[in-house]
Amino acid sequence: MRGGRVTAVLEVVVLVLVALFLLQALQGDHPESSEVRGHLVENGSRETGALNLVTAIYLGYRAFDTLGETIVLLVAVTGVIYFAVPAGKGDDEEDHDTRSDLP
Amino acid sequence: MKKTTILDLISRKLAPFMLLFGLYLLTYGHMSPGGGFQGGVVIASGVILLFVAQGVEATASLFPFRSLSLLEAGAFLLLVAAGLAGLAAGAGFLGNPIAGVDVRMVPRASMILVYNVLIGLKVGAGISFMCMYLFREDR
Repeated sequence: MRGGRVTAVLEVVVLVLVALFLLQALQGDHPESSEVRGHLVENGSRETGALNLVTAIYLGYRAFDTLGETIVLLVAVTGVIYFAVPAGKGDDEEDHDTRSDLP
Repeated sequence: MKKTTILDLISRKLAPFMLLFGLYLLTYGHMSPGGGFQGGVVIASGVILLFVAQGVEATASLFPFRSLSLLEAGAFLLLVAAGLAGLAAGAGFLGNPIAGVDVRMVPRASMILVYNVLIGLKVGAGISFMCMYLFREDR
């Protein structure tokens, strides 16, 4: 009972701290300015041609990261094809037959 | 599988608009919120709505497994090819090959459009393939 109360107080404290942090982060401008951010805001649309700055960053400046994400998805699909064997056929010796007609 | 009229009707009417909205997000990702990943996931959610409501068999006749997997792999290869085009133009791998062309002739964002459409097709095909493959009935 006592431990539960202590946990509840700790949860409230953590929630209040998170709320304070979010409040500070959501109040308009980020306090510290960085050189990279200024450069992106000023030249991002002109250098990449994309009006949307998010797109300008993830397809213009960080396109390698985007390529990596697509590779992750490709590997995920490959894993699903390999592991998703129909129920009841997984441990049979006909394991290869169940996969023979896959794309 | 038991299916209510509401689910049947809503899924039939809503899915084409979800697919269309996904394509809109792909093609306008360079000037409004959206982009390849988001648009692809919206397309995939349209396909998922179709097969959850109508069954995997009916949806697989519209989006066959084979063409989905081919689209996924083909879009990835085309993406790498587009990156190599930047290398060939001297802008580096995944660079913008039309950066040197006059902006009034070819808008510079057209390369971003190509990337967005390719990534969106790849993500949409991949995610709908995964979900349909996990939900399919035993043969």
